[in-house]
Amino acid sequence: MIEFDHVSRTYGPKVAVTDLSLAIPRGELFALLGPNGAGKTTSIKMLVGLLHPSRGAIRICGHDVVADPRSAHLHVGYVPDEPCLYDKLTGREFLWFIADMFGMPRHLARDRLDREIECFELGEFLDDLAESYSLGMKQRLVFAASLLHDPDVLVLDEPMVGLDPRSVRIVKDRLSDRTREGMTVFMSTHTLAMAEEMADRVGIMVRGQLRFLGTVMELRGQVAFEATSLEQLYLELTSPRGGGA
Amino acid sequence: MTGRTVPPEAVRLLRLDEESRLFLRLRATLVWETVRSMVAGSRLRVSLVVLLSGLFWAALYGLFVEAFGFLDALHADVISLLFNAFFSSLMVMLVFSTAILLYGGMYRSPEARLLLTLPVRAETVFAHKFREAMWFASWGFILLGSPMLVAYGVVKGSAWPYFVLLLPFMLAFVTIPAALGGIACITLVGWLPRLRLHALSIGITLACVVILWLGWSLLAQPRSDAMSAAWFERTFARLAFTEQKLFPSWWLSSGLMEAARTEREGRLSAAGLTEGIKFLALLFANALLLQLAAGWLARVAYRRGYSHLTGEVPARRRRRAGWFDRVVMEGGSAVGRPLRLLLVKDLRLFRRDISQWSQFLIFFGLLGLYFLNLRSFNYYNAYASMIGFLNLAVVGLILSTFTTRFVFPMISLEGRRFWILGLLPVHRDQIVWSKFLFSFLGGLIPCAVLVFLSDSMLGLSWRLIALHEFCCLLLCLGLSGIAVGLGARMPELRESSPAKISSGFGGTLCLVISSLYITVVVIVAAVPTHLFLLSRTLGPTVITPDGFLAWAGGPWGAAASLAIISLAGIAATAVPLRLGLQAFRRLEA
Repeated sequence: MIEFDHVSRTYGPKVAVTDLSLAIPRGELFALLGPNGAGKTTSIKMLVGLLHPSRGAIRICGHDVVADPRSAHLHVGYVPDEPCLYDKLTGREFLWFIADMFGMPRHLARDRLDREIECFELGEFLDDLAESYSLGMKQRLVFAASLLHDPDVLVLDEPMVGLDPRSVRIVKDRLSDRTREGMTVFMSTHTLAMAEEMADRVGIMVRGQLRFLGTVMELRGQVAFEATSLEQLYLELTSPRGGGA
Repeated sequence: MTGRTVPPEAVRLLRLDEESRLFLRLRATLVWETVRSMVAGSRLRVSLVVLLSGLFWAALYGLFVEAFGFLDALHADVISLLFNAFFSSLMVMLVFSTAILLYGGMYRSPEARLLLTLPVRAETVFAHKFREAMWFASWGFILLGSPMLVAYGVVKGSAWPYFVLLLPFMLAFVTIPAALGGIACITLVGWLPRLRLHALSIGITLACVVILWLGWSLLAQPRSDAMSAAWFERTFARLAFTEQKLFPSWWLSSGLMEAARTEREGRLSAAGLTEGIKFLALLFANALLLQLAAGWLARVAYRRGYSHLTGEVPARRRRRAGWFDRVVMEGGSAVGRPLRLLLVKDLRLFRRDISQWSQFLIFFGLLGLYFLNLRSFNYYNAYASMIGFLNLAVVGLILSTFTTRFVFPMISLEGRRFWILGLLPVHRDQIVWSKFLFSFLGGLIPCAVLVFLSDSMLGLSWRLIALHEFCCLLLCLGLSGIAVGLGARMPELRESSPAKISSGFGGTLCLVISSLYITVVVIVAAVPTHLFLLSRTLGPTVITPDGFLAWAGGPWGAAASLAIISLAGIAATAVPLRLGLQAFRRLEA
């Protein structure tokens, strides 16, 4: 579903991502961890086509995100770290705009809208202008919009920021259900516990390089040998002196 | 995995026409909701905008009817030259403004970030942002140009087709520079991202140099020569380069003049109308071609340019405290130090916010340029004084837009950061006083200089200069008091955008009260002086010797006027500040 093929990205003289090669199959929830400035957001921006790789290629469902961005985007739902909505549209109007953008037939779009509104409990404020929403409301609406077209790939950049515990639970349940149905999730997060709870595989990125790639079990396996806790291992891996896996 | 997956069920890529319709629908909804919420939320502001725009339009229309009537009778061929000069300079401005607006809309807005992650064509996103930029760049032309062109048709006694064709002419014309601006913007960002700022600054500098050279060469002529036949001839010769037949501005002015042509007894000229429509078709054809070219360019280079910009590392600049900041912080007593620290903080924010000081510089700079050119004309004593008072009013009005736009929202924005200030050992009153001092001192220095410049150029007496400077002092005090006081009395703590805060009810009220205050001060100060000078210039018989006007024009009238404006100044400063201080003490963040 998602393929990073020897991807590098530089910002002037600074290397943000170095030779990243990664394949994430259908139905996997992949969590990308790492400290600030590790290259997580750069990787996500490249994945959704906002940033072109300096070298290498990224494919989503076989479509190159640079050469054929529209076909790639048709398979993707994206939840950015800062939700972007139109202030002067209501939540419902925004959802319809997204459904129309993906060319969904009206009857199907209506069903999907009802499904996501119920799932993310948007009904109370859906017909108010988005300018009156709190950060949590905006984030829930963006989640609903990203899942409206049943994407093959969902890309999440720090998805839980601004969500209250109940909304976090809703999102987690929804992600689990959808990955079981075959959706691939690529998520960047700072929260180790969340990755531990949800991810099938985790990647730990430090200064643009993937220091660890494996399942949570494999990560736990390393804990048994090298550290006393997952957190300590993470801190060890992401410290300036940390070694790779 | 390299095999391509079929799209999810019932999801498909839209055709180009479907995408365009979808974005038009989006634009219509956004405009409708914006208008609806403006009408519902800020009726006062909307009513004022409509009323003032109507008044402005009518005043311009009257002015242009007079001007065209005069020129048509004396120098009929001048109109073509003026149209060409006006439209060609407008074209240059529209290229720049659309390019800058498109840069913000296409490359720096959160909306562009959203749209580029959706399965939409780059050229559709460009078209969506292009329409927005074109509207924002050219609405001023519609507002200012329409009374001029309607007045021209009325003076020429044109038939109805001329008036019907006006809007299509204007739309076709503005599309051309807007598309050129779009092409310049995409090219610079797509292929020469590092050069974009240099290119922009070089372009703006060149345009400014040309405008300054033209303005200087037209106005720096002997005073006695102004408005003479020789002066007109020299002026026409200098502006003749705007009549190039390859310029869209020439197509527009020629098309309009042809369409406005009439036969004898005001009957429609079929030949003129046909020629006019040919020019309109030429404008439309070029507008469409350039739009197509811009769309093609967007398809090729928009996403790449966006990626370039997203990948740019912002330059890190180490900021150090300047000598002026250090002097303000360290000078004075320890008691006043918190106030001075707050003042320095606001000064730093102002200096580092390009939108604030650039607007300040542009408006006061243009005003300074105008004042510098006042010497080109001769004035009678009484009229020189009147122009001096009008200039004082203009300085006050520009200052009031700044106090409303930048000073009024300061307390609201401080309210959002209240947790920082709330934990500091600073009395709340000091926060309000620091804003007042910042506004007063920041306004007084440029305004006093401008008023002095205007009065010197007009050759006014020292007594009048002193009076104008006193009025200027009162205006700075009062306008700062109104903006800071109302800002503290009516804070918008939920809003983070200063533009939105100043355009709400409180901001509009601040602007209205400020305008009233300026009107009162200038009129009350001007009447005695003007009457006194009139009686000296035209003789005392002009004014009834025993009436109120004679008293007003005498020493008692002058004393009364000084007393009234002083009281108005004290009231405009103290009352809003007092209200603001009381409200800010009670504020719960």
